[in-house]
Amino acid sequence: MSWRHVYRWDLDKTYLETDFESVRRLLTIAFEKPEEKTNVPGSAALLRELSREREGELPSRVAIVSGSPRQMRKTLEAKLELDGVVWHEFHLKPQWENLRRGRFRAVREQVGYKLPLLLRSRLKTDGLTGVRETLFGDDAEVDAFIYSLYGDVVGGRVQVDELVSVLKAVGAYEDAIGKSVAAAEKLPAEDVVERIFIMLDARTPPAFFRPFGPRVIPIFNYFQAALVLFSGGHLDAEGVIAVARAFLERDGRSADDLANFVQDVVRRGHLPGSALQDLGLAVQELTNVANEAEVIWKAVQRFVDLGSARRFLPPQPPEMDYEALLTHLRSRHR
Amino acid sequence: MPGATVTPGRPTTIALDCMGGDHGPVEAVEAAAQLSLSRPDFHLILVGDVNELGPLLDEREYEPGRISFRHTPDWITMEDSPRTAMDDKPEASVLVACHLVADGRADAVVTAGNTGAAILAAARKMGRIPGVRRAALAAVTPTEQTHGPNEDPFALLLDVGATLTASARDLVTFAIMGSAYAEAISNNPRPSVALLSNGTEAHKGPPEVVGAHEMLAELSEVNFAGNVEGLDIPRGSVDVVVTSGFLGNVVLKMLEGIGEVISELAKDAYARRFLWRFGLTMLSSGLRQIQQALDWEQYGGAPILGFSQPIIKAHGRSKARAIGNACKVAVKAARSDMGRVIERAVAKVPSVEEEGTQA
Repeated sequence: MSWRHVYRWDLDKTYLETDFESVRRLLTIAFEKPEEKTNVPGSAALLRELSREREGELPSRVAIVSGSPRQMRKTLEAKLELDGVVWHEFHLKPQWENLRRGRFRAVREQVGYKLPLLLRSRLKTDGLTGVRETLFGDDAEVDAFIYSLYGDVVGGRVQVDELVSVLKAVGAYEDAIGKSVAAAEKLPAEDVVERIFIMLDARTPPAFFRPFGPRVIPIFNYFQAALVLFSGGHLDAEGVIAVARAFLERDGRSADDLANFVQDVVRRGHLPGSALQDLGLAVQELTNVANEAEVIWKAVQRFVDLGSARRFLPPQPPEMDYEALLTHLRSRHR
Repeated sequence: MPGATVTPGRPTTIALDCMGGDHGPVEAVEAAAQLSLSRPDFHLILVGDVNELGPLLDEREYEPGRISFRHTPDWITMEDSPRTAMDDKPEASVLVACHLVADGRADAVVTAGNTGAAILAAARKMGRIPGVRRAALAAVTPTEQTHGPNEDPFALLLDVGATLTASARDLVTFAIMGSAYAEAISNNPRPSVALLSNGTEAHKGPPEVVGAHEMLAELSEVNFAGNVEGLDIPRGSVDVVVTSGFLGNVVLKMLEGIGEVISELAKDAYARRFLWRFGLTMLSSGLRQIQQALDWEQYGGAPILGFSQPIIKAHGRSKARAIGNACKVAVKAARSDMGRVIERAVAKVPSVEEEGTQA
């Protein structure tokens, strides 16, 4: 089977609003029913649109990689079904096994859990040669780091000795290092990671992610992601409208708020003005989108407001120093 | 009247001139970022050089739905001649901010820049209220007595520097505008208004003050309390004190200076002798209250009265807190429909309107 594109999603704080900040909330989350779980605004609409089958096109592959314990599989799968999302892989963390085997570092550590999983998923899935990927994470953990490292390992820019050194630095167990190295050695070098969206759930300032280069796109919401994905040909205008509607109708946002979101992502260099023009033209062809069309017209005005100001897309770093990046990320979470 | 009327339920939008203050755009951007997180009821349009403002915002926590930018590479400095700059820099940030209000895209302007430029920009883009010949900068000053039903610990002093001189009729207009402002913003149903002079008697003072006294004494629309002297300002004998811009500015700066000197003297005394340190520690809560009352940053900015839409002038050396408070004052003024309130008050007084307006 061949695939058009791969979308890899984290769940907690990326797809679902999850508050781990207190033991009470943690217990509440564990016993929540699928219908009680709350989406990050727009996440369900966006993932639904990305996974939707399109006539005459290859299907997109959706892979969920979550740090939630495996015991929650039934509830989380039921939640995704309720949201109308189609997925092809669903990975959860073996927390009980980690505790049973005394691997306490692995309970919190994410790099040693997610990186081998991502690499093995890429290696073991048929029909992925040359297929590009878009990854979704958040700023609560080290998703920008894991996804960037994954992209550079697959792209052949991180050699085995550096990979081992980085994994040791994060405290990954030997078996995780071994699995990562084995997969990395077998994967053909392909530059497949197109974009990494980081949801700013913890309100980290966007400039904090500049050292990761332009591939990492900090977003404040999934309307911004939908716009960028539209510019990359992943979504059509109807898809963007569906996400905008989620914000207008279910999140209580105004057309002005959404127009400001557009200007923000344009100003930061992640959305070209031509995409806004294309979106405006496409929306003219749609019916029953008066409210969403108002957003687009206001956004065009905001675009004009930027005038000749430069766009501040982060420059591509000459080479990624992953140990320095890890220190940088941890400085925020300390 | 051009511009937008604040619609209930719609967030009030402030056009914030980010370029003019002594500290550059960093403090304005910091204020905007903080307000975007704490005040869901209003939006900010940051006016200025986005090449500078954008990276500053990106280094901060902010809510992007409540902030947008209007790029303009020009601004008027404190050294620029306001009148010349109006023509030389038609895209100056303060002019653009006023244009956004006139165009209905924003409800009020806040600027920490050149006062003269702010007044001329407002006159050019938003227009003066019919009957108002000169605008007035109205500042709040801390007082011993409280004012109005909210028991505000401050009185309104105007003009504090919009213009140097004022005729008798200008002073009467200032009195009407100050009274209307205090009524709308402080919910004070009939604020007392006085002229600043060198004696309480009606004949004391320069001719324009004596003339204004005669006219105000005849006006039933203003709760005129006669003349007050300088010492009545900190005492808070009246709710609104009216004077010319030159004198008002001198008084305001002197009050600010006294506050800063008291604070410095206390610090000095604390460092010098153990007994003084002990005494100051015992008095610390009282001293803190005095310091708070004299802290100009907490009062935000001063409204420039006389224009059809609100424009708030923040102190040139404002930091983020003061600019944030100035934005809150602007929101309040916009929601009170300040321009129309003053227009109605001025229109009720035919003798003032007859004189007409000057450009």
